[in-house]
Amino acid sequence: MNPTAGLSKSRLLVTVLMLVAGAFMIVPFLWMISTSFQSASEVFSRWLPSKLDWSNHKRIWTGNYNFVPYYMNSLKVSLISTAGAVFLSAFAAYGFARVEFKGRNTLFLVYLSMMMIPPQVIFVPKFIMFNWMNIYNTHWALILPGMFSIFGVFMLRQFFMGVPREITESAFLDGAGHFKIFFRLILPLAKPALATFAIIDFSWHWNDYENALVFLTSPKLYTIPLGLQNFILENNVDYNGMMAASSAAIVPMIAIFLLGQKYIIQGIASSAVKG
Amino acid sequence: MKRHSWMRKQQWAGYAFILPNMVGILLFFIIPALFSFGLMFTNYQFANPNVSFTGLDNLKRMFQDDQFYRAIKHTGIFLLSVPVSLVLAFLVALVLNRSVYLKGLLRGMFFLPYISSGVAVAFVWMLLFQPSHGPINEALRWIGIASPPGWFADSDTAMYAIDIVQVWFMLGYNMIIYLAALQEVSAEQMEAATIDGAGKGTITWKIVWPLVSPTTFLLLVTGLIMTMKSFAIIQAITQGGPSGSTTILSLYVYKTAFSYYEMGYASTVSWFLFAVILVITIVQWIGQKRWVHY
Repeated sequence: MNPTAGLSKSRLLVTVLMLVAGAFMIVPFLWMISTSFQSASEVFSRWLPSKLDWSNHKRIWTGNYNFVPYYMNSLKVSLISTAGAVFLSAFAAYGFARVEFKGRNTLFLVYLSMMMIPPQVIFVPKFIMFNWMNIYNTHWALILPGMFSIFGVFMLRQFFMGVPREITESAFLDGAGHFKIFFRLILPLAKPALATFAIIDFSWHWNDYENALVFLTSPKLYTIPLGLQNFILENNVDYNGMMAASSAAIVPMIAIFLLGQKYIIQGIASSAVKG
Repeated sequence: MKRHSWMRKQQWAGYAFILPNMVGILLFFIIPALFSFGLMFTNYQFANPNVSFTGLDNLKRMFQDDQFYRAIKHTGIFLLSVPVSLVLAFLVALVLNRSVYLKGLLRGMFFLPYISSGVAVAFVWMLLFQPSHGPINEALRWIGIASPPGWFADSDTAMYAIDIVQVWFMLGYNMIIYLAALQEVSAEQMEAATIDGAGKGTITWKIVWPLVSPTTFLLLVTGLIMTMKSFAIIQAITQGGPSGSTTILSLYVYKTAFSYYEMGYASTVSWFLFAVILVITIVQWIGQKRWVHY
């Protein structure tokens, strides 16, 4: 009797079946990339381009529709927001996780309750307030609120609470204060958690469409999702260009995912299961 | 206890750590939320300086608003995507957890949609579902369906086509969390069941499914809430059309506020959305005590 040989056969079969199912999941991406390399006459008529036609990609990067500024805007907004969110969330998360002070639990409950407020509730007041603050239709309307992440505080607090007390105890006895402990001990230990949150938060800002839709009106300020929408509104039969533009928006996220897969998956799994 | 008393002395440090974040939460979440609550009782319209308190008029208007009821119905259809994607994600996670090679690759393939830009993905689906020449309808004609559906172009099918995109989008996220939950189901529990002579199907539905029920419950609740809040994919593909057939509540709020500038009324509808989320959250609290047993 050889159970492994029999097992591996069924395993192989299941793997093939799952690969077929998985292929259905990524077919839209493959079709997008394939179409982006087809000439206009080939759209909808074949799966693969007869030859690689780079003109669609050239058109969206150098033509009337220049994605370079959209890219720069998205990078600026996403990077500053994410950097701010990581730092500010870590700071607050430490306070909630490792310092005992009056009103801590009440305050944390207030944070949690804010998670229930749908963004649609606060779009209008933010629109009015940002007009008063003179940041409506500027990148700051995305960056400033983007630096405050309730999810980030929640997730990092969870992580900090898991750091064993003994690690910080001896430092306390040596006379170190909370700030020293936070910067010297906790932050270095939390690098994987910070990386996880940073990747998730970055992808959120990179893909954010709703806030940009509400708070940006000048095309020169558009981030990628709005730039993409603008392109499609004005070129709604240029299917190849549309797919080249969509590829440009998606490919960086695929690259980040492939590089940070481990962090992303662990982070998402732990934030939900233990949350 | 020494540490304890020492930590008490450092109370101020707690406030110092939280203060910078608290300022932002106050400014960008709490104050806008209170502000919005106030707007609910006004007839505020953007660019119209005459604002007056109208009491409960907005609420009365809402409950007589046909478009509001239609939006609720569309939201209901949209929410169907949540249980569907949960069941599919559970099955995929079950298979990936035990009996495949290339687990990492497969996991990546199923997860990819979730991290890609919703708007870009929306445009790809728009072309895939294109009624006259799109690849999906071409394929349907090829297998003998002479008049395939119009998908996003037909007000009867548009909402369901959106559901398909949403299921595809959320599947990977749910799968990742199921995979984590399945890891906690111990091999012993499975083995004991096998020795007792339980078949694979029985093990799955009588043992594994109940064991991951806390995860299912959590994913159901968070999924319902997340889905109710999101309108990016719909706005990108159909802008709520054709003839309003994909205008869900969250999109209705957006349109009322920023296309028709009826901001007072929009606030009222947005608080209805909040009330629904609140009810779901309360059900979760109660349910967690009753059903979830660690």
